[in-house]
Amino acid sequence: MSVETAYDYLYTGALIWLSVLILFMLVRSIMGPRITDRLLAINMIGTLVISCIAVLSRLLDESYLIDAALIYAMISFVSVLILAMIYIPVRQTRGKFEKDARKEIRAERGIRGSVTESGSPEYKAGKEAEKPAYEKGNAGLDNGRDTQQDASLQEKGGSRT
Amino acid sequence: MIGEWIRFGITCLLLIAALVGFTAAVIGAYRFGFVMNRLHAAGIGDTLGIFLVICAVSVSSGSFLEAAKAFLIIVFLWFTSPASSHFLSQIEYYTNPHLYRYVDRKIQDGPHSDEKEPE
Repeated sequence: MSVETAYDYLYTGALIWLSVLILFMLVRSIMGPRITDRLLAINMIGTLVISCIAVLSRLLDESYLIDAALIYAMISFVSVLILAMIYIPVRQTRGKFEKDARKEIRAERGIRGSVTESGSPEYKAGKEAEKPAYEKGNAGLDNGRDTQQDASLQEKGGSRT
Repeated sequence: MIGEWIRFGITCLLLIAALVGFTAAVIGAYRFGFVMNRLHAAGIGDTLGIFLVICAVSVSSGSFLEAAKAFLIIVFLWFTSPASSHFLSQIEYYTNPHLYRYVDRKIQDGPHSDEKEPE
């Protein structure tokens, strides 16, 4: 067997395996549960296609295909960038989302508090256990400050009634 | 003749390593439970795989000009791949309102507790 046929087998096998990986990433981009998964799969398909073109340039022995791979790299980056610009807001509205989600969690805790009596030791133990670690011992972020205020308000309300 | 076979061996090793890297990236993009983990696996595997493929192409081509053009791809991709990973994680940060819930659970349960992402 000469070296040329060995190279042919190597490059053909690599191309087949790369196309199988591209098919897998295509399936991932179709069934991805979040938008990030889909964009991630598109990004990865771009990289796999670039490596396909690079291997193909050696299989066909045409060096200009490397230029095509370079252009493809630029275009795939721009596509990911444009799609990201659609989803990243210009004004940063992350705080609004987080406030809504915190309201949800407070509603859940309020439901649990109404089931057990709010002054009882089981309720206090449960509340302490479901706090994340950085909130324990009154140390932490504004999240911790919020729950602390809630607890003090509830204590005041309990003493009033 | 024996030099040609040595060059073929080096190309073969680099190309197979690149395919292993890409395969690891695809498996990571399928098997991790949280979006950021999948993003990490795919980004790392991408970068390693494209580097090894371009090394294999450069070794097997043998001409300096072609190798230099191929390394231009690596230079470009090593700048743009972290940038696009950054943008993708920014998308996740802005569009997933339950992200901090996951982080809370991680702090409570320890670093290896993720099997499902929070709904």
